[in-house]
Amino acid sequence: MLEILEYDFMQRAFVAGFLIATLASISGTFIVLKRYSLLSETLAHSALVGVAVGLVAGYNPLWVAVIVALFFSWLIEYLRSSFSLYSDAILSIILSGSLALAVIVVSLGGAFNNSLFSYLFGSILSVSSEDLVTITAFGSLALGVLLIFSKELFFICYDEEVAKVSGIKVKFLNFLLVTVVAIIIALSIRIVGSLLIGALMVIPTVAALQFRVGFKNTMFISLLFALFSVLFGMITSYYYSLPSGATIVLSVITLFIFSLIINKK
Amino acid sequence: MNFKIPIFDVKNLSFALRENTILSNISLEIFHGEYIAIIGPNGGGKTTLIRMLLGLEKPTSGELKLFGKRISKFKEWHKIGFVPQRASLVDENFPATVQDIVKMGRIAKYGIFAGFSKKDTQVVEDAMRKMDILHLKGKMVGTLSGGQRQRTMIARALASSPEVLILDEPNTGVDMISQRRFYKLLSKLNKEEKITIIFITHDIGVIADDITRLFTINQKATICNNPKETLSCEDMSILYGIDAHLISNHKHNCSGENGC
Repeated sequence: MLEILEYDFMQRAFVAGFLIATLASISGTFIVLKRYSLLSETLAHSALVGVAVGLVAGYNPLWVAVIVALFFSWLIEYLRSSFSLYSDAILSIILSGSLALAVIVVSLGGAFNNSLFSYLFGSILSVSSEDLVTITAFGSLALGVLLIFSKELFFICYDEEVAKVSGIKVKFLNFLLVTVVAIIIALSIRIVGSLLIGALMVIPTVAALQFRVGFKNTMFISLLFALFSVLFGMITSYYYSLPSGATIVLSVITLFIFSLIINKK
Repeated sequence: MNFKIPIFDVKNLSFALRENTILSNISLEIFHGEYIAIIGPNGGGKTTLIRMLLGLEKPTSGELKLFGKRISKFKEWHKIGFVPQRASLVDENFPATVQDIVKMGRIAKYGIFAGFSKKDTQVVEDAMRKMDILHLKGKMVGTLSGGQRQRTMIARALASSPEVLILDEPNTGVDMISQRRFYKLLSKLNKEEKITIIFITHDIGVIADDITRLFTINQKATICNNPKETLSCEDMSILYGIDAHLISNHKHNCSGENGC
């Protein structure tokens, strides 16, 4: 077991994995309770446009992904709050649209290579020290914002209109939430991959909800599930030479099935 | 308490949605300590009026003041408690205890960076005690009965220490026994706590003894200053567009010109 920690790249992978698990599960609690689960998938695909532009134009794909994910998160929230459109329909349109855009950018630039593949499915074992610093700095900021506004966000998740009538700045906080989620997703796709980050954001919360406990306990269980999945998934992937992102996602799905069975009415 | 400035001062308020007039030239004032019932047919504009009073809908024309201030300048929303129509129809899977829900009523009052003080805890417990749900504080809201959920939502509204409580058909999905208990609670809040109460109902017979004024809304507003005498079968028939009959019971005898 300790042998796995002897390598620098594994130590970095564990730290990055735990940071992403913490950020994804805590932000995921609000996203799931707002019935906005598809947001994470949509922003992950939007971030892929940034990755494609970054790879083709020669910029740092992570930074371009952050900018593009932020743009799409604000566009989604603007469309949702200003037009009488169904939220899931908006998400579906932007999900397919951004994926199409990413594919076109990549094919025009001839950048369909291993780099893009690692952003699609993640590459937790190739996390650099620079990646770790970026994730820690922006992740701490995102986590701080979520924890400071957790009471208000919880109220909005419960009843947006009543929260608004109570004097909560609902529009501002909704924009803030999607902004934080966009940053978390853009930071995570290098590690878990744009096709898999949605699972780490949504499934731990859905599994925790099966225990029917209060809000704080739900968030705590969700965090434990995400951390355990990362730990178990990475150890398994190391010893059996499996892709780490996919192993993490299958671990969290196993926990979800386990939660369903033991909490069956 | 200032009796001269109305809590709500509505002048010539109109609301149209895609060229359909929902409300036309509504003017009314609501003062401290009043207990007002709003009745009218479905689609008549009752909920729209309430939503405009709460700033959730912008009127097409007219003027609306809250506590003497134009609604665009009004910031003290904690003075207004709101219980929506679907109050008792909560998502059964939502991870919140009764106490979590009631605490929400204090959030806007104590600000972003402040924690939950001893005073806040006291106010939340008082609100639960008044609604007789203190013993349920650790229970998940999804496991409560319709009546218990309804009282939880009112406790949440009370936790902000409101001066006015607005309820939009709060009895949806609540059994008869809980409804009676609910009306007694509202009357108590109005008489003992001096909270102004405004609520939409179809249950006018039950509350006629308690309310101070009755507003009938069907695109336009008619204000009855003495609801017990003003309500007649004819008025009700005109309002709802049906042949209305009053049925006498042990509490509300139908007699005189208005009796049927």
